[in-house]
Amino acid sequence: MHTLPPPFKQRIALLFLRRGAPLAFLLILAVFALTAPNFLSIGNLANVFAQSAILGVLAFGLTIVIIGGGSNVVTGGLDLSLASNLGLCAAVYASLNNAGYGATTSIAATVLTGMAVGAVNGAVVVWLGLPPLLATLASLNLINGLELVLTENTVLPTSSVLLDLLSGGNWLGVPALAWIFTGTGLLLALLLQHSRFGLRLYAVGEYAEAARAAGIPVRSYVFFSYILSGICGALAAFLSAAWFSGSTTGSGELLLSVVAIAFLGVVFSPRVLPSITGTIFATLLVGFLMNGFQLLNISSFWVNGIQGALILLVVAASSMLRASK
Amino acid sequence: MKLITCLAPILRLSVPLLFVALSIFFAATAPGFLSTGNLLSVLVNNFVLLGICATSMTLAVAAGGIDLSVGTALDIASLSFVALLNAGAGFAIASLGALLTAALVGVFNAVLIAGLGISPFLATLGTLFIGTSMQQLLSSGGQPIYIADQARPGLSNISLFGLPFPLFWVAGVALVYGVLLARARLGRELLATGQQPVFAHYTGLPIRRLTATVSIACSAAVGLAGILLSSSVNGYVPLSGNGFLIQAIGAVFIGTTFSRQGRASVANTLLGVLFLNLIGNGLLLIGWNFYWQQVATGALIFGVLIVSFGGRKLHGFSAKP
Repeated sequence: MHTLPPPFKQRIALLFLRRGAPLAFLLILAVFALTAPNFLSIGNLANVFAQSAILGVLAFGLTIVIIGGGSNVVTGGLDLSLASNLGLCAAVYASLNNAGYGATTSIAATVLTGMAVGAVNGAVVVWLGLPPLLATLASLNLINGLELVLTENTVLPTSSVLLDLLSGGNWLGVPALAWIFTGTGLLLALLLQHSRFGLRLYAVGEYAEAARAAGIPVRSYVFFSYILSGICGALAAFLSAAWFSGSTTGSGELLLSVVAIAFLGVVFSPRVLPSITGTIFATLLVGFLMNGFQLLNISSFWVNGIQGALILLVVAASSMLRASK
Repeated sequence: MKLITCLAPILRLSVPLLFVALSIFFAATAPGFLSTGNLLSVLVNNFVLLGICATSMTLAVAAGGIDLSVGTALDIASLSFVALLNAGAGFAIASLGALLTAALVGVFNAVLIAGLGISPFLATLGTLFIGTSMQQLLSSGGQPIYIADQARPGLSNISLFGLPFPLFWVAGVALVYGVLLARARLGRELLATGQQPVFAHYTGLPIRRLTATVSIACSAAVGLAGILLSSSVNGYVPLSGNGFLIQAIGAVFIGTTFSRQGRASVANTLLGVLFLNLIGNGLLLIGWNFYWQQVATGALIFGVLIVSFGGRKLHGFSAKP
């Protein structure tokens, strides 16, 4: 069937919707650059990157799961346990490190904890057919409980060479956390957007039937996306432990921001799909907003609301875009 | 194959069986678990608020959506209730105001979901964020606002027919929404929209109007929980409603495991709430510390879900020729 090209007005609207997000991003940057003192200084920009690292790495994990499961929120991929996974991993690392285990043991155990959480999520989603929303909500509860048992709801201060390196390290005037955020982002972007694995994962998420018919082991791919998400949780745990010099309570509160960022990231891709590069931009957008507000002395209480309004705006725009396609 | 055919119904019954077994276990090991005082305190202190939130959530889930802003609606109702009481309004006016503001949250959701076509999860997530900001700004970063001494409603002390008054509120909400969902035409249409959205669309059901109705009904009922919460703590504590969100979703889905078709119904949801409450209470009474209680509850919910979905899957396989 041949479809007529959309009328001129609609084409303009489409263009605006497609390029709208990057435009809005630049606009916000420009406003802050003009109004907030020091906003564009290298030190401040590097700071924003460093502050975005924890949320960003978690959002990468969620993005991978969404890519592999499809972006329908209820039936598609979702990992609500990510933020709690961070909390548990940080608690595991802090306890092992404080108990005098060697660096290798504590780091390995922490990464394994994150992977185990991912594996449990993946297993129940893939082989038992639980909706991800529900499965990861349930594991969120369980993980929160385990974290509480380990920490007894207190902060476990800890320090190690690794954490010192992460929190105090500096290369070319840019803090280590910023390097980790950028490095992880680029690496994952390469893996998911420019490799065979990534392309197949997209296929699995967008059209599982077709992917299966093409001979892709759909279940293993989805399972693996949850493992990757678990690893992101563990990585974020190291960053958080470095930032706060130990494990903290209430890391579960990051969850909603992570979900918001991952879905915000969708509009930064011209094809309105979840992508790592999109998530990088979304993380930075939220980071710049918070930073700009701080510099302008606007109450940080506004940040949540603006984030919420942004999600709504973005999703409404993208659903309109889909409808007009 | 024979084994699987036998196994499936057992698996389906496993959740109710677990419920009964745990109750017997607690009754045998925990002193006072079955005493009227204990059961009544569970009902008043734990069941009421979660019950109302979970009933609302049932409606949203039945229609194929979800409402992440139940906590927000609860908080905002609580805030306006307290503000109106402190401004000298009577209990009736303050309650009405609280319900209206809660319903406004629902209207906002309805505009987003039915009007703009945003998926319920993301729409209500956005509402949750905006609500959080609003509360922080209105309460200077999370300071509680207390009801002035002379304006305190003292609802929790009233009892009717020997039962605490708040229980009648849950009963009322559950009855209205339960009958609506299970018996009324609106309920049928909601379930149809939730289970077969495409068919519902082609049958000509007014899907937008249905989702809008659900959003508003959901938030308005939660307003009642806001009033009850404010009257029991004599004030408004910012962002306290979110604590109910995850448990309410959990209760609804545990409830669906009680149903043969895996459908959401208000009665089953309330059983789910009771299940969560009794486990928490029982573990407390046998002296588990709070942190292990969390683990146990989490593991139980996880187990229930696994068994019920695993069972349904087995059932599905065994039903094939």
